[in-house]
Amino acid sequence: MNARVQVIGGAMLALLLSGCAGSQQSSGAALEAARMSFQAVKENPDVLRSAPKDVIRAGESLARADRLSSYWGSAEDVGHYAYLSRRYGEIAEQHTALGLNQERAARLELEHQRLQLALREAKLLSVQEQSNWLEEQMVSLATTETERGLVMTLGDVLFDAGRADLKASANRTVLKLVQFLQLNPRRVVRIEGYSDSSGDKQENLELSRARAQTVADVLVDLGIDAKRIEVQGHGESFPVAENASARGRAQNRRVEIVFSDEQGHLGAGR
Amino acid sequence: MINRLSCTVLALLALAGCASDPAPTEQMRLTEQAVAQARAVGANEQVAELKMAEDKLQQAQAAMADEAFKEARMLAEQAELDARVAEARVLTQKSQDQLAELNKRIDRLRKQLGDLQ
Repeated sequence: MNARVQVIGGAMLALLLSGCAGSQQSSGAALEAARMSFQAVKENPDVLRSAPKDVIRAGESLARADRLSSYWGSAEDVGHYAYLSRRYGEIAEQHTALGLNQERAARLELEHQRLQLALREAKLLSVQEQSNWLEEQMVSLATTETERGLVMTLGDVLFDAGRADLKASANRTVLKLVQFLQLNPRRVVRIEGYSDSSGDKQENLELSRARAQTVADVLVDLGIDAKRIEVQGHGESFPVAENASARGRAQNRRVEIVFSDEQGHLGAGR
Repeated sequence: MINRLSCTVLALLALAGCASDPAPTEQMRLTEQAVAQARAVGANEQVAELKMAEDKLQQAQAAMADEAFKEARMLAEQAELDARVAEARVLTQKSQDQLAELNKRIDRLRKQLGDLQ
């Protein structure tokens, strides 16, 4: 009788123990996994810097799981604390990623502001240059508003005598012309060559056309699309002064640049 | 007789060891808060960790009703951290999206500046 009770009691105890110990193996694996992930978290300096509290909690949970693993019947608790440790590690990692992203975003925000400012300045500058340029044209380059539109005149002095080549002194004017066309990408131009009435009519026509072409070529060389440029030679026609004096003849030897309006519409050619 | 007594005492002790947990009301509150917080920053069913958190919270509430306090506490503790992982993931993803948007805007500005020059 006594012995039977004893056996039953012993069996009950054994059952209790084994019930708790059945998952001992899987909790051992969970503990090992938690140990490894904690190791990784702990060795990441960024994580330690951004989320030290979560790293500490991950360590504490792991230590608890570790301690419990030496007791019988603690498999469930070991698994539990191993799980918590890994979760704390994950939280620490996510907070770290978040922190790094925020730092990066702050830097990009500054860069963004800097670029915006630069763009605004560049636009402002180009507008200023544009208006300065137009002003200058009005004053010094004899741009005139005619029935043909805005017209800019390149005088005879910018060309070698009797030849189509542009002098170096024309560079400034040409560069400004290019700049203006770049700032006004929809505008197109017609370049018209004129000559005085001395000499052969046909030669004059050819020279006037060649000079206009020279200007067009320079513009193309400097990056203006050839499609935006029209070239015409008018020879002795349409003089702006009498051909009797040297001064008048010099005024008639010229290249005129006719600008379209902002939509790219050119007035009819002569 | 002594043997019999000691057996009974041992068995009782073992049982008591499992049953002595108090009701984890504070932990339940914390967990509910963490789940609500994860929801508040925009976590939804798409975030696996939030789903886990809500499932475990439900199980914990059932365990509370059954007065299985140890089970309830463990579930609630895990659910709290699941929810906090969910929250952290959502926030990190948001910051990632913000970075992408900033980079896009910077690229656009660079291109405009390049066009001006």
